[in-house]
Amino acid sequence: MTSIIPGGEPFLFPVGNSGCLLIQGFTGAPEEMRWLGKHLAGQGYTALGIRLQGHGTTPADLTRIRKEDWQADIEDGMAWLRGCTTRQIAIGLSLGGMLALNLAANDDLNGVVVMATPWMLPPIAHRLRPIIPLLSRFWRYRTPEEPSDWVDPEAGASNVNYPVQPLHAVGQVVDQLEQTRSLLPRVTCPVLLLYSEGDLTAPPEHGETYQKKIGSEDVRLIRIQGSGHNLPRDAAREQVFHHITNFVNDVLGGGG
Amino acid sequence: MSIILPGAEPFYFPGGDVGCLLVHGFTATPQEVRGLGDHLQRAGHTVLGVRLAGHGTRWQDLARTRWGDWLASVESGYHLLRPQCNKMVIMGLSTGGDLALILSTRFELDGVVTMSTPYQLPPIPTLRMLYPILTPVSMILPKLQKGPPDWRDPEAAAARVQYNCYPLRAVREFGLMLDTMRTSLPSVRVPVLSMHSLEDGFIPHSDMGRIHAGLGSADKQVFSVEHSNHIISCDAARELVFGQAAEFVRKLASPSG
Repeated sequence: MTSIIPGGEPFLFPVGNSGCLLIQGFTGAPEEMRWLGKHLAGQGYTALGIRLQGHGTTPADLTRIRKEDWQADIEDGMAWLRGCTTRQIAIGLSLGGMLALNLAANDDLNGVVVMATPWMLPPIAHRLRPIIPLLSRFWRYRTPEEPSDWVDPEAGASNVNYPVQPLHAVGQVVDQLEQTRSLLPRVTCPVLLLYSEGDLTAPPEHGETYQKKIGSEDVRLIRIQGSGHNLPRDAAREQVFHHITNFVNDVLGGGG
Repeated sequence: MSIILPGAEPFYFPGGDVGCLLVHGFTATPQEVRGLGDHLQRAGHTVLGVRLAGHGTRWQDLARTRWGDWLASVESGYHLLRPQCNKMVIMGLSTGGDLALILSTRFELDGVVTMSTPYQLPPIPTLRMLYPILTPVSMILPKLQKGPPDWRDPEAAAARVQYNCYPLRAVREFGLMLDTMRTSLPSVRVPVLSMHSLEDGFIPHSDMGRIHAGLGSADKQVFSVEHSNHIISCDAARELVFGQAAEFVRKLASPSG
């Protein structure tokens, strides 16, 4: 018996003095960042994929989480990464992108990659936010009914994701989004935004808003075709890896 | 602007083929095993120290955790460090030692070092009386202030990063974890070194003997420390403790020597 389920394990590929912190999305697991991590390690970059608290175990663990727990997880990851690298960037998917930007506003990073991070959640989530503490007492979990946007069905089927979303934790995502938005003017490092035309959660228009609000001089937005929300796993992943590698080469000045 | 208290960050020191996973105790932080980590790195090993869920931030965060969250934090550290080394030892102070013993029955490890590790709840009559009803009690009384410190080394006392109280809800989890630790003991098969201060004013020295007696390991040793409080990895006898831990790892890494 273990606490962490298969796919929920964090990973470290230490290969060079420049490192990438890889941050998973909400209800996902480090597994969704692993292929990207392997790719970056192959290019000579150290990759550390962290597990966010409440993830990679059981959805019940996510009912007790606050967004500060996730921010602390990111700080843990940076402390480990700084132990084996001299320069660092953060790469996050969806919620992971919010956390990466949050980190960039408070810490000294060489760059940030944001994949499919929503600017807005479904309006109902924002509207219900004030009563979520009450609501979540009797409505603990919601089962997502949104249509799937996976293009590669195999990658979708093997993806590690909770089948339910604790309502309490959805409230924490709303709060994290608001905090990240408020910090965007303080983000001054180079930023790469990757958004998919086929994303039903965070379409490229969300990326355009981030591009306007982020304080950096250097904010690049790339639109990906042929992928759903989960950019580092879905059908266009090689294209995504390619764009990220180019950005990382640019801001970290080559591998090793 | 960071969430983690200054000095409470986890750590990673890359080094040789032997990995040491370091686990701190209840209400404490990685700070209390960082000095041990430095020593092991100087001995040529790869060292990773984890921060247990709910620790090193605010005591209210600890009150929300369950002991499975602490174990998951240790497992995360295991998964990060395991691919970096051929042999791997886990070391824990106090509660960290209990988690280390539990982990050794579920994962591939080559040795365990426990320091000041409890076998049962500390012998505080009020605590033992209230323990069965701690969960409801914690709703009225969420925390208990810690007693006066008993450090021999004032510099180590000043450097300490921890919570100054025990969140009672988490004390309940501490007790539940001890239940699992005790039932796991016969399944521990790897070499174990246990160290404890004769002057430990919190967890009695006799707990080391009880753990030792329960272990399923053929290779198990105890080492008693003097002139130290409960935090043997930081207080005045720390160099002796570091030396013992490093010698244990050295023997595991080269069984012939």
